[in-house]
Amino acid sequence: MKTIDVQPQPLLGFARTLRIALSGVKYRLFRALVTVAVISVAMAFLMNILAESLIKMTVAATAKDQIAEMRLVDRWIARLSIPPTTAEIIASAARAGEPAEIENLRTLGRLDDAELTRLRELASAADTYLTFFSELNYGRRRVLVGSAESTAIFDRLQDATARETFFSRLAEMKTVRFVTETEAFDTLLNEWPVLRAYTERIREGQATAIRTVQDNLNGRTLMQSLRAAEGPFGQVIRDAGFNLSPAEAEHLSAKVGAVADTALIETAMNQADIRQAIAARLDILPGDVTPSRLWSLLSDRDNAAWYIGVMNEQGFAASGWQPDDVIALADSRARAQLLKQAERATMETGGGLMGIGQRMTWLAFVSMLVCAVGIANAMLMSVTERFREIATLKCLGALDGFIMTVFLIEASILGLVGGIAGTLMGLVIALLRMLGLFKSLLLESIPLGALVTASLLSIVIGVLLAAVSAVYPSLRAARLAPMEAMRIE
Amino acid sequence: MITTPEHTSPAAVAEASERRVIIRSVGMKKIYQRGAETTHALRGVDVEIYTGEFISVMGPSGSGKSTFFNMIGALDSPSEGRVFIDEVDVAQLTAEELAFLRCRKIGYIFQSYNLIQYMTALENVTTPMAFGGVTPDESRKRGMELLDLVGLKTRWFHRPIEMSGGQQQRVAIARALANNPSILLCDEPTANLDHKTGDEILTILQKLNQERGVTIICATHDHRMMNMCDRLMWIRDGAIERIARRDEVEVQLASIE
Repeated sequence: MKTIDVQPQPLLGFARTLRIALSGVKYRLFRALVTVAVISVAMAFLMNILAESLIKMTVAATAKDQIAEMRLVDRWIARLSIPPTTAEIIASAARAGEPAEIENLRTLGRLDDAELTRLRELASAADTYLTFFSELNYGRRRVLVGSAESTAIFDRLQDATARETFFSRLAEMKTVRFVTETEAFDTLLNEWPVLRAYTERIREGQATAIRTVQDNLNGRTLMQSLRAAEGPFGQVIRDAGFNLSPAEAEHLSAKVGAVADTALIETAMNQADIRQAIAARLDILPGDVTPSRLWSLLSDRDNAAWYIGVMNEQGFAASGWQPDDVIALADSRARAQLLKQAERATMETGGGLMGIGQRMTWLAFVSMLVCAVGIANAMLMSVTERFREIATLKCLGALDGFIMTVFLIEASILGLVGGIAGTLMGLVIALLRMLGLFKSLLLESIPLGALVTASLLSIVIGVLLAAVSAVYPSLRAARLAPMEAMRIE
Repeated sequence: MITTPEHTSPAAVAEASERRVIIRSVGMKKIYQRGAETTHALRGVDVEIYTGEFISVMGPSGSGKSTFFNMIGALDSPSEGRVFIDEVDVAQLTAEELAFLRCRKIGYIFQSYNLIQYMTALENVTTPMAFGGVTPDESRKRGMELLDLVGLKTRWFHRPIEMSGGQQQRVAIARALANNPSILLCDEPTANLDHKTGDEILTILQKLNQERGVTIICATHDHRMMNMCDRLMWIRDGAIERIARRDEVEVQLASIE
């Protein structure tokens, strides 16, 4: 039998293949646009999630330090008024980030180096179990440790029978995964009296220190005294056994001053005459005068000067104040509000891809899936509509691979266009939304690099998604019998 | 190419001893199995078609004519029996070899033209050349020559939608000739055309057959075709009912009259 003298078919240039694919898109522009819309909506959703979580993460990081600083006064007031609970000491020893905090524990508890190391070791172990018990649901905790909560659990389990019951019940609970080996917990329970003794020492130390400080208030409030934290009162605090660096003291007194001034301005506002005056200036009813209205009024120079005058008239001690001081107070108050809002808004960030969290990852995945089905459907329609064209091309000598390439390229083009459009859309929406939420805070902490990466990622996902969804339709097109070209509708 | 006067006589062409067989089918059967239902589209067809022949295939719809066409056009493979195109067993060919065969050996002309809608006339004609590995410049040159041949040189940039049915079919003929095939397979080429344009198409086909020696196999209901073909073939119920030379048929027709 004669064999055919076949020469390998030359690969059609990419430009020509691309042109055939592009012509296909152009020829069915409307359907292509619908497909692009499907892809861009899915990509916009993905990009929106990514961009928002990235922005939130950065804002949260920026806000975190500033919020900690903002709470400096609260922290010191608390530290100087109430001795901490055992659990609080454990948490602070286990999680302390700053050396100053550790130093505080050392001086208050009068611990030497070895004891301090031991304390931190035991505390971090205990902290793990405390977290476990606090996250355990009520019913199970009740079964395991009765009504005990927090460190009382460790106290309760000092009893041999209670501990035995605990371990046997824990073994029975198949669905509960204990955080460590049970032996490790048993060891910690044996060590608990040591840890407890350390915490008691720290507690006692702090209680004594607090008494010393309170005795030195000389009839003033703690807040008033703290205004002199950089001066003699700071020394009182240090002498009592607290760790207060000069820099922190200076900061603290400035903050306390600002808090006191803010309070004074708001107290003045509540005085009937002043309230009337503000209401008249704002042209509203006196009952509608609120702190936030007052503060937005005070961010203007003339108004600030006017208000200082009013306060002086009514006998509030504001004589040394300059309008700029008041404006600065208004600014820092506005900033504090913004930070608080940022903290609330970023509470749920973290976890999963780029910090979008499990739930959002799942949602994004489902939207991708729906989009893939949509693309596959559109491409299948394209194949069905073009079956005669495909069959004709095969009659003219096109190889299966060529047909497949044409359709994959067509889908990729749609994916690229949809990806870019969707990414831009998602990015703009995210930026606008985040601008509304964080305002000036956003501009300080916009994660430009990460956003560019996310955009590229999202475009690439768009193209890949389209290409992968088009594999089956392209295969169908490639396998179409050339004799279909003969069929007449 | 035999263009000498004595060979232009169809009878002489068919019987010329130097003529090669270009398509041969041996016991060609096609059975379609759809569920429990079995359809015998072809029930064993033996036929030999010679180079340079112009053959008309007639038969009512459902006669197996389309199946026959698909088989001898290397678009489908028979369930039983064999098809040889230029002495090559089609069933033995790989996908690449089949593509090669369709690209170079056979030109297809369809009832509904099947031009690629988004391509110009010239692009339509040059597409098979691209598959055949002709360089773009060479393709353009040959494409214009072929369009000139079918009388559409001036309309090379028109898209199918801007052309009449007859013009589209002429572009389709030019496309079918792109890689100089030795066989032209026409599926009712004049069915969608009016009488006059149909005549133009038939004239072109006849010219190709006589001047270029292209083997033309034409499914048709068009009686004008009878006047120009060498042989006529009737298919009925999946089998060849009759094959006859034109002069024999004419004699018969004359005797009936």
